[in-house]
Amino acid sequence: MFSAAAPRRGSGLGFAMPAILLLAAFFVIPVVFLLTRSVTEPQLGLQNYATLVGSSTYAKVFFNTFFVAGVVTLVTVLIAFPVAWALAIMPARWSAVVFAIILLSMWTNLLARTYAWMVLLQQTGLINRMLKAVGLIDQPLQLTNNLVGVTIGMVYIMLPFMILPLMGVIKKIDPAILQAAALCGATRWQALTRVLVPLATPGIASGALMVFVMSLGYFVTPSLLGGTANMMLAELIAQQVQSLVNWGMGGAAAFLLLLVTLGLYAVQLRFLDRKEAA
Amino acid sequence: MKKTMIALAFASALTSAAHAQDMVFTSWGGTTQDAQAAHWAAPFTEKGGPAVVQDGPTDYGKIKAMVEAGAVTWDVVDVEYDWALQAGKAGLLEPLDFTVIDKAKLDPRFVSDFAVGSFYYSFVLGWNPANFSDAKPATLADLFDTAKFPGTRTFYKWSAPGVIEAALLADGVAPEALYPLDLDRAFKKLDTIKADIIWWEGGAQSQQLLASGEAPIGFFWNGRLSALQADGMDVGISWDQNITAADALVVPKGAKNKEAAMKFIAEATSAEGQAAFAAATGYAPVNLGSADLMDPAIRATLPDAQTAVQVNADMAYWAEHRDEIGNRWYAWQAQ
Repeated sequence: MFSAAAPRRGSGLGFAMPAILLLAAFFVIPVVFLLTRSVTEPQLGLQNYATLVGSSTYAKVFFNTFFVAGVVTLVTVLIAFPVAWALAIMPARWSAVVFAIILLSMWTNLLARTYAWMVLLQQTGLINRMLKAVGLIDQPLQLTNNLVGVTIGMVYIMLPFMILPLMGVIKKIDPAILQAAALCGATRWQALTRVLVPLATPGIASGALMVFVMSLGYFVTPSLLGGTANMMLAELIAQQVQSLVNWGMGGAAAFLLLLVTLGLYAVQLRFLDRKEAA
Repeated sequence: MKKTMIALAFASALTSAAHAQDMVFTSWGGTTQDAQAAHWAAPFTEKGGPAVVQDGPTDYGKIKAMVEAGAVTWDVVDVEYDWALQAGKAGLLEPLDFTVIDKAKLDPRFVSDFAVGSFYYSFVLGWNPANFSDAKPATLADLFDTAKFPGTRTFYKWSAPGVIEAALLADGVAPEALYPLDLDRAFKKLDTIKADIIWWEGGAQSQQLLASGEAPIGFFWNGRLSALQADGMDVGISWDQNITAADALVVPKGAKNKEAAMKFIAEATSAEGQAAFAAATGYAPVNLGSADLMDPAIRATLPDAQTAVQVNADMAYWAEHRDEIGNRWYAWQAQ
């Protein structure tokens, strides 16, 4: 068995070579260049990293980045789970339609979608005017230029990335298990929290990681729907590179973000491995 | 069949020859670049110059990366004037060829070794009359007075000449005493309205904020307010202490079509090119001969008709302190 598996693994690597070369040329080498600039501009040393770590402003930007990504991930999970569940148990014809609607939103231009939210959410926007018209509020709610705006805009964009992996996992869960839970006297809530959610955990975990990591590096939506007080790291990098032409600082910030992301990914791999082993 | 083949080969040879000579002009997009394409690039090509490919938006990080990598694909770039001065000193730009570009006719405020003005504009106080039916805001002090004129106000998001000057003028600093900028005082003044500020990142967004009433008052590029008026919207403009800043045309170091680039700049800064561009955009010409070519009614709406109440942002000062101010500006915004 072992001897048969070994050559197969070797030839697989050969087939993967083009992909590996492509990644090296268009991903690894640019990252190495960026890393080099971050320790050589304006002079050799770690001064860019020292500035980043030492300044309270940048600390706040780091905190914002993780906080916003965390909030977005949490809200996305809470919304995506029932949607994915509904999609999984719906008649196939219906689920195909809902699925198409979800995918359609993914294919629409990101900037256009963000602007659409701006128009809906602003103080003179549709939502505030409707709430005012039905008499629910006197003063318009502040829904843009703050955390609320960023969260709404980003959750909307991230939802498909959570629904897809979740749906895959939920579909594989044997409905008989839920029936068994009911027969054993579990309430609906117990069936959800003690049976369905634990079984769907791998889907939740992989979806959450994807959403969290994508949110960490997001630029357009936070920039347009958030205020400067919620500034995230991607915006800091854009300012440093585009406005101040400071590749050193921009590179350092980008590299720190990459490190954190890779670290998270490693933790997740460990966590999933252990789950599967157990 | 054979004939078509030859014709096709010939045609493709022709187009590839033309491509080899094409030059690239990069600007900020939107209606401004449309006007630059129509009133500078089109006549330039018509008079025998190469075809001009439009690219964008302008990105300073990209310019620096291109120059350092020795792979410059932009021949002429529209940049902010203070950045041009700084970049010229840093060795990122080609010196301009003033045997091709006639600098005698240009407004001396906007001529330097590495850059000439592209156009100049004013930051002006603008407001939506629907939101201010009684008292009308008139001065920069009103712009910072949330008691008298409550509501969200909108300002330019990026670190650039304009907003800091406005804060100091509103706080009572005399125009001739603006420089060196008292940043502590400026940020203290800005702190008083910080909670009421929405930042605009580009011209289109500033128009949207004002027109929708989301930010009924703010500090705008004058051309964007002219465009709203041209669309039939009622917009209040106060030119009192309008603050001028300029864009510049530059050639990145190592540009592939240097000669054509110089000729393009000559065409763009000609009296005709500047006059046509100004009429289309509401920004002021940098060529002193343009005024005579323009409809006086249009001229009256441009910043160069408002010189009596004008404050000039000091581009040399900004070029010198751009990074220092920028770092502080962004840190203050994020707080």
